[in-house]
Amino acid sequence: MTTELSRTVGRRLSVPAKHIGLVLIGFVMLYPVLWMVVSSLRPGDEIFRSPGLILESLHAENYTEGWYALSPSFGTYLLNSAVLVLGCIVGNLVSCSMAAYAFARLHFSGKRWWFGIMLGTIMLPVHVIIVPQYVLFSQIGWVNTFLPLIVPKILATDAFFVFLMVQFIRGLPRELDEAARIDGCGHPRIFAQIILPLMKPALATTTIFTFIWTWNDFFTQLIYLTDPDMYTVPVALRSFVDSTVATSWGSQFAMSVVSIIPIFLAFLIGQRYLVKGIATTGGK
Amino acid sequence: MPRGVRRRGAAWAVLLSLTASLLAACGSGSDAGGDLTAEPVTLRFTWWGADDRHKRTQQVIEMFQKKHPNITIKGEFKEWNGYWDSLATTMAANDAPDIMQMDELYIASYAERGALLDLNESKKHLDTSNFDQKALATGAIDGKQYGLPVGLGMYSIMVNTDLLAKYGIPLPDDTKWSWDDLKKIGEQASKAGGGQVFGVQSPGINDTAGLSIRARQQGKAMFDAGGKVVLPPEIATQYWTYIQDLAKSGIAAPPSVTVEKASAGLNQSATATNTAVFGLWWNTQLTALTAASGAKLKLLRLPGETQGKAPGAYYKPSMFWSVSSRSKHPAEAAAFVSFLANDEEAAKVLLTERGVPANQKIRDAIASQLKETDKAAKEYLDTVPVSDPPRITPNGASTVDAILKRHTEDVLFGRTSPEQAATSFIKELQSEVDAAK
Amino acid sequence: MSALDELRQLRHGGGQVRKRDNKAAFWFLAPWFAGLVFITIGPVLASFGLGFTKYNLIQPPKFIGFDNFARIFSDERLHNALGVTFTYVFVSVPLQLACALVVALLLDRGMRGLAFYRSAFYLPSLLGSSVAIAVLWTQVFGTDGLVNRVLGAFGIEGKGWISDPDTALSTLIVLNVWTFGSPMVIFLAGLRQIPAVYYEAAAIDGASRWSQFWRITLPLLSPIVFFNLVLQIIHAFQSFTQAFVVSGGTGGPSDSTMFYTLYLYQQGFSRFDMGYASALAWFLLLIIAAFTAINFWAAKYWVFYDD
Repeated sequence: MTTELSRTVGRRLSVPAKHIGLVLIGFVMLYPVLWMVVSSLRPGDEIFRSPGLILESLHAENYTEGWYALSPSFGTYLLNSAVLVLGCIVGNLVSCSMAAYAFARLHFSGKRWWFGIMLGTIMLPVHVIIVPQYVLFSQIGWVNTFLPLIVPKILATDAFFVFLMVQFIRGLPRELDEAARIDGCGHPRIFAQIILPLMKPALATTTIFTFIWTWNDFFTQLIYLTDPDMYTVPVALRSFVDSTVATSWGSQFAMSVVSIIPIFLAFLIGQRYLVKGIATTGGK
Repeated sequence: MPRGVRRRGAAWAVLLSLTASLLAACGSGSDAGGDLTAEPVTLRFTWWGADDRHKRTQQVIEMFQKKHPNITIKGEFKEWNGYWDSLATTMAANDAPDIMQMDELYIASYAERGALLDLNESKKHLDTSNFDQKALATGAIDGKQYGLPVGLGMYSIMVNTDLLAKYGIPLPDDTKWSWDDLKKIGEQASKAGGGQVFGVQSPGINDTAGLSIRARQQGKAMFDAGGKVVLPPEIATQYWTYIQDLAKSGIAAPPSVTVEKASAGLNQSATATNTAVFGLWWNTQLTALTAASGAKLKLLRLPGETQGKAPGAYYKPSMFWSVSSRSKHPAEAAAFVSFLANDEEAAKVLLTERGVPANQKIRDAIASQLKETDKAAKEYLDTVPVSDPPRITPNGASTVDAILKRHTEDVLFGRTSPEQAATSFIKELQSEVDAAK
Repeated sequence: MSALDELRQLRHGGGQVRKRDNKAAFWFLAPWFAGLVFITIGPVLASFGLGFTKYNLIQPPKFIGFDNFARIFSDERLHNALGVTFTYVFVSVPLQLACALVVALLLDRGMRGLAFYRSAFYLPSLLGSSVAIAVLWTQVFGTDGLVNRVLGAFGIEGKGWISDPDTALSTLIVLNVWTFGSPMVIFLAGLRQIPAVYYEAAAIDGASRWSQFWRITLPLLSPIVFFNLVLQIIHAFQSFTQAFVVSGGTGGPSDSTMFYTLYLYQQGFSRFDMGYASALAWFLLLIIAAFTAINFWAAKYWVFYDD
């Protein structure tokens, strides 16, 4: 069924050669990651004195030490991050897809202007927005809760995803919703029953990115979460590293490895849904 | 277009309310001298550091809460960069923590913008009787005590005696050595090191104290009492010429190596990785560096202390305890600071993690618990001669470390000459101070 | 090409007379409107207002007219930062997108272990903004890093690539290219949406695979290429975290990695000059908006929409 370029390339090069090539590129790309994993198993004072990837002695204690290095222990931060990530994903999926449908399929007054404003909102650097925004949220008493981090997602302020979905929806054949409209479907039904199922790849992308970006976002979480019981993974990870004193790099790397595992798994699972697009579901 | 107008009107309303709250962010109700309340009170306490410090501090908080069951202390730990971002933001929203760890670079800038409480107002709850006046003075501006020094440190040379022994170089006599002596012995060490190990870890990065000490040894200073930059250009030129010489003659590592190691933090520094024999450090970093390097390190006095007009060395507070001027419970906050500074049980938990305690009674009380390296740091502090401390880094000059680093890099990579660097540094620093007024 | 053309014609047959759907649009956009009014607009306007003031974050802002904006034109360190940022944008964005597209095409389908490779190639992007990256990047480009050890094997003496002002920016560009995972994922998702029927039609016409790529894959992927281009440019102009983490917040050595937003951040948070930082932010907004507008204008000539 498929006769795409990728297949072509696959035929021209022999398959083992392709694998070898990918593994080689992969090794170079993953060298820093591998180094981090190896270092997480080294005693702290050896990390910067023994270069390379060869592990002379196994020091798995970094993992237990790192887990309990801060109070509360690392489990709390993982849980907090998980709650936050979940809220942000749901918020982004619902609100951004709605807004995207409007921009991609509906005709309304001043559409171009609104679209411009939406894009404009991602052009201002966060560092000048954060102070007035903090003032705003602190006045309504939201500091040290997840609300300042989740509510903006529920309100589609992440224009990146709106734009992403707009581009995907515009790539979908229009006959589908026009046919549905002739059958008497309203916009809510067209959106829910035709567009949403067809834009699974975009939704999967949004989910993966929201997961990863939220999981890694340091600055806003640092500013809004003040109580250590509310700290998330990136905030906690940085609390290991202070340039003015000695850093327990062993524990830091160990916990970095621990914190990557969930996003790696999320990606591994999420990327399947990227594959289930229109081409393979036979939607057309 | 009524709709457009209404929309714009709403937006301006939000803007106005934000501005109003920015304006409202000054003004405080304080009863710093009143009695401690018996009502339940919650205080926020923030500090920067790494995991070891977080643990110890949280332990001390619990000890305090046991003594004062009605006071809850919420500890908020951060790392250095995040700490200042977060503090600046919360200050703007009038939402700053009650008690904070403060740094010498920033204390004037926060105090002069009105963010810190004069601790003299709460003398009733804050015991400073065991502090040396010179030490206390480091946290005071115009007679107002904005910070209580936590620990004291002194700038020093750290030498790797394992490497010296290996190369067969005798330990220099640090009671009368000069900067040239350091160069000479560094050259010997570099030769013996064969390109792997260098004599001196180049100064010039995170080295504001070094430049200031150069000036002080010659009877000058970086800032005058009014905060004006009075560093003579000749001294700055001399400083960067020295750094340039070290790099050119191979006494220090090549520029890119120097910059890499010096910018990367303590664990990756040349001293910690045993790739330099001599390095400029704070005496209190001995323990951490010894642990990181696994070698024997020894503290030496600074070069040039006896050739010039006066010793350049001084007691530098490692950090301060400060109380927010907008704290709703300044008396309780002061009581907590007093506990941190004076309680012996607390001190036995904190030990020298924040530097050798500035409180002399506490310093003696924990003496028996100290590690060898901490004892060496304490002894250094107790015996090496010092002069009066320099003026606190003035408001606006908090970026002096960054400015110094950039100029050093420009010199090292040949982008500017020591003379140009000297004039440009002084000019930029002065304009920073002026801009903050 | 006839079958393909026929198909296209078929799909675009029939005139489109559309009425406006203002009411539906309002409801679909309601969350976004609420976010705009309650969360976005206030801080945005506040930052605009602050651009005309001297504001040190603690004392009340003082109105100073256009001084901050005038300073933009005489601030030499800012001009250096602009140079650094432009170099970064124009070198790293095309490189990163090209890598992402090639790898996406390779990993689209047709071989075993795709899920694994995709995930492995995405792994760097997971680390790209973490605090560990500073150390990891030193392991690659530092004095004792991988690059120098490879060079050493060929007898070439290396240097600290990150800490030399001549090469520091290049290592950050490589860092950005290294984290091509995000655009790659978007490309992959886009490739999945190209209806197979086009390729079937082209195969009937006997089109070569190369021409299929140019005539089907690329045009139909063009909205996604466009999206990636627009967003990556905006993103690159605002690039902050990597330079911040790798240079320890200084933008050094010698300001060689001083990105615009890093400079802006230092003005606001290290020098407590939030007024100037706000003015800088709005100036950057103008620059980004100009480039985005050019992008949208140029899109008319190369982006293919199915509507």
